[in-house]
Amino acid sequence: MIKTIIVVGGGVGGTMTANNLVSKLYPEISRGKARIILISNSPWHYYKPAFMYVAFGAFYKEELRRHQASLLRPEVDFILDQVDDFEFKKSRLKMRSGDTYEYDYLVVSTGCIPSPERIEGLVEAGDHFYQHEPARKLYEKISTIEKGRIFIGVTFPKTPNVPHQCGIAPMETTLMLDEFLRKRGVRDQIEIVYTYPTISQLVRNCLFLQKDTGAVLPSIFDSKGIVHKRSFTLASVDPERKVAISEEGDEEDFDILIQTPPIRAVDAVLNSGVSQAINNEGWLPTDRYSLQLEGFENVFVMGDTVDLPISKAGGSCHNQSPVICNNIAGLMRWGKTVAEYDGKVQAIAQMGMDVGMPLWYDYEVDVIPTPPTKIGGLMRKSFNRGVYWSVARGLV
Amino acid sequence: MSTQNPEVSNPTLERLLECLPALKDEATQAGAADLLEKLAPLLQGRRLHNIVDLLAATSDVIEMTDDAMLQKVMSLYEESIGGIWMLTNALRYASAQSAANPTPPTLWQSVKKFNQNEDARRGLDVVANILAELGRQAAIKGQDMPED
Repeated sequence: MIKTIIVVGGGVGGTMTANNLVSKLYPEISRGKARIILISNSPWHYYKPAFMYVAFGAFYKEELRRHQASLLRPEVDFILDQVDDFEFKKSRLKMRSGDTYEYDYLVVSTGCIPSPERIEGLVEAGDHFYQHEPARKLYEKISTIEKGRIFIGVTFPKTPNVPHQCGIAPMETTLMLDEFLRKRGVRDQIEIVYTYPTISQLVRNCLFLQKDTGAVLPSIFDSKGIVHKRSFTLASVDPERKVAISEEGDEEDFDILIQTPPIRAVDAVLNSGVSQAINNEGWLPTDRYSLQLEGFENVFVMGDTVDLPISKAGGSCHNQSPVICNNIAGLMRWGKTVAEYDGKVQAIAQMGMDVGMPLWYDYEVDVIPTPPTKIGGLMRKSFNRGVYWSVARGLV
Repeated sequence: MSTQNPEVSNPTLERLLECLPALKDEATQAGAADLLEKLAPLLQGRRLHNIVDLLAATSDVIEMTDDAMLQKVMSLYEESIGGIWMLTNALRYASAQSAANPTPPTLWQSVKKFNQNEDARRGLDVVANILAELGRQAAIKGQDMPED
């Protein structure tokens, strides 16, 4: 009997996993014993990290997206639809179109949704760069501001030890902003204030979610005249007065507020009733090694949807995808999972408009910060402009 | 006016080497001796100069690479890789489909497939367009060019 494997989500995790599954299970697929389906609610695939560059006028929308179907191997059946209901106990999906799909194995890679509406006043007065339109809006502001105060803040999920989207992005954009304003010749008239909340995963009162990197930040920021402030957990924003109010009781005024917003899982995951995450954030309980949804041997979770202490970024998906593919093959062929995820994440941090810092970490070892270099910057730009699409195709 | 010890401000290579603790290690010295032995013919024959020149040229390229150049190079990369990927996918998929049929279709069945399958007709049209473009470019090369 033919085995049906469904991947839900057309982000980088879902796309590379559908392609990787074809490679891993090609003997079964070519004999008609298995089929791969990818379901996405968009005909486009977006390179989401490039939204950060949109905020600095460095990327057009047309450059950071491709037709989803053009990134999939022909053996993958692409279905343009939206999952309304994950029926994990019945191994079934109910779709927006009214269709239902039954599966033998499921990969949930549905990402997360920026939700500024979860903080009072943030929608009205705040900006962010985690989606295209907000990033465009932010670009209009930072490319025209002549003087004032740009206040940068970070919101972590309330679920313990779960990070916000792309852990290094606030630091990257702070350094890019400094350089962007210098090039505009207005930096002297604009104060940049970088803040971090009291609780950031397992560390407290720091400037970054990992201690070693947090320790080097003050000297980097000081050398560029960037003000830094610990223990500012945004509670609400007063759009009239242009004031950010913290849970710790502080008030800070701003002309532009760049706030990494709260995030949550997509509606269908939230409504599945399986999540144990607090604050209705919806992260799925995921085995940190096998990446199976707890209680469901045939369901795997990856990327932003997991409840693991691992960066919600493509660099995580890149290492989770082979584990999931191996484990699905193991279950089909040997009746058991065979691979374990070690928590590895790699990335190249953009530490200014032209320099980069390759980094990696896992469950056991944090990032060891190294000096940013021009070669690192070229590596990051090469990835942005070309290598990413090979990663999505499962070639790298 | 500051007074500096000339030996400190201008250390000789010998003194500098003495100051490096790593070089006092026997294993380091043995490794360095091995390396020097390998490098000696390259140094004597001036062949190591080429490697240094190569490093310098590589470094120059890194310094000269700007956003515009990088975008063009990466565009070439993506078009090349994407094109090869598309062709190898089509070849693999088409071969697997053919192999799945115990007997190949008759000529009439193949013609009928073109008639009934829109994608197959489009594929044929793509091939025809490629041939037309190759022909156009060949015609350009064959044109008589006037003298300046």
